[in-house]
Amino acid sequence: MAEELKIGVVSCSGEDCAGGTISRLATRKMMDSIRPDNTVTICLPLFLAGGQEERAFAKEYPTIAVDGCKRACAKQATEKYSGKVNSVVFVSDLISDEVSEGPALSTRDLTAEHQAMVDKVAVEITKQFDAIMNEKGKEATTPKGSSCGCGCNC
Amino acid sequence: MSDKYAVLPCNGLDKCAGQMTKEIALLLCEGTQNEIICPVFYRVADARYDKIAKENPLLVLDGCGTRCASKLAGEKGLKIFRKMTVTEEAQKRGVTLPTDTLRLGDEEIALCTALEDELSKEEIAAPVQVVQKVEFPAPAEYLIHKKDKFIFRVPAAGFYFSENDCWLQVIGNRARIGITDFMQQSLSDIMFFTPPPIGAELEQFDEAGNVESGKAVFELVCPVSGKVVAVNTELLTAPERINENPYEQGWVAELELSNFDEEKDFLLNTEAYMKILKKKVDEFHVNKQKS
Amino acid sequence: MSTNKKVNVLACSGMGKVYGLMAREAVLHTVKHLCPEQAKTLCLAYIVTGEEEALAGFDHQPCITVDGCPAMCSAKSVAAMGGDIQEEVKVLDIMKLHKGAKPGTATELTPEGWAITEEIAAKIADRVEEIQKEGK
Repeated sequence: MAEELKIGVVSCSGEDCAGGTISRLATRKMMDSIRPDNTVTICLPLFLAGGQEERAFAKEYPTIAVDGCKRACAKQATEKYSGKVNSVVFVSDLISDEVSEGPALSTRDLTAEHQAMVDKVAVEITKQFDAIMNEKGKEATTPKGSSCGCGCNC
Repeated sequence: MSDKYAVLPCNGLDKCAGQMTKEIALLLCEGTQNEIICPVFYRVADARYDKIAKENPLLVLDGCGTRCASKLAGEKGLKIFRKMTVTEEAQKRGVTLPTDTLRLGDEEIALCTALEDELSKEEIAAPVQVVQKVEFPAPAEYLIHKKDKFIFRVPAAGFYFSENDCWLQVIGNRARIGITDFMQQSLSDIMFFTPPPIGAELEQFDEAGNVESGKAVFELVCPVSGKVVAVNTELLTAPERINENPYEQGWVAELELSNFDEEKDFLLNTEAYMKILKKKVDEFHVNKQKS
Repeated sequence: MSTNKKVNVLACSGMGKVYGLMAREAVLHTVKHLCPEQAKTLCLAYIVTGEEEALAGFDHQPCITVDGCPAMCSAKSVAAMGGDIQEEVKVLDIMKLHKGAKPGTATELTPEGWAITEEIAAKIADRVEEIQKEGK
């Protein structure tokens, strides 16, 4: 039986802007409810501080970086330590720069508007996520090593 | 009680429970040969108390869960003979300690007297330091099971396991017990450790202490019968050692075995435990992703 | 002697554990509400991955790190980037004072979790004040 496909989602930690909080919450939503069986969240601070398990996972499995702003810390860190990311979601592309680069946002201060932004970002992550799953799924079922193209492995 | 004890109270000044440790220490020392160690002075000057602390059984009195006295004992490399935490004892006895005053009232004084009484009258087992020391070698090799980004280690040889995720390492008639890597990862950050009492005679599958994390309280199910001859006192102040290294620095207790030849039939070797581990990991991860 | 320099307070913000969220929220509460004139926070990841601009003035400035677990990611990263760490706050040390507490999840804190977070924030704020008075 083929092992279940897993995708690592690396969120920026974004402590000093609202985009960071939204990025983080959208990523948690992937793990908590949207794709709980296939999402593995990668802790960026641990990744940066030398977390070998996080880095090894990101090398071996596809990854999506979710960045709160154009500094792209999650993308850069993943590329530096584990190789190219499969996909990047920039929160600032989905909500206005003014909001994403606005002051740091506590989860205690989330408004309905913020929640809607989290959902919007989560939808985009899901789109990228499913695209990777489909691609990997196809790779897994495509027979390898066939020279004549008929699938006979001759 | 033994002839002489060194008594180390936390002497915390900002809580009632801390004030009580001083009172209990005074009661323990009045009219006896016991000596109080001043924690503040000991922190800055080893010479005054090192000899007393190392040559006599050490009683540690902590006011609260911060366990400053236990931590100080750990920093000084002292073996704790017996410890008591006032807030825990108060809770056990249904006593609510005041939070609006630091002065000890009648109820607090009565509790101090009761705790001193308990410490004084208790039949004390032989001090840990006279028990013959046995070297337990670190595992030469670990087998690994990976699931997503999680890696679970199991010593390749020389260990036994139980289905309750406890391990056992046997050297002659002595054994060390602890909890497995899978269990410590399941629990996440361990913050509290309650050891089994030294001298306790445990049957196989009796409770042998417990550990507590933010997620759960885990009672160690003793894999074999025996008498507890040592506990890992470092875990009293640094229970996270279990997370860091569950099979080596994170050992929980040592036992003198009483019936190992018969009981080992109920234990698992590495290969058998790995099978159970893989199943548990798969089940756990289905639940973890949903939690 | 006091200093006008703001103290940098950096949280680990760990995604996987509630304590990472508590570290993050405690820092936000400190820099936004308790001592906004005396402390500021920075993105930990940006300090590590960013260019010279990110580190401008960071090294040798007084820092307080706040970590959610023994991995100590904030302390390690800040030390590696040259921050002058004046205090390493560990959320678990404060959690040990609240045996049995259920602070919530890595997504959301309970009221109990918020209460403990505010306790952590108060401790950070006290230290910020001390550092400023020491003139670091």
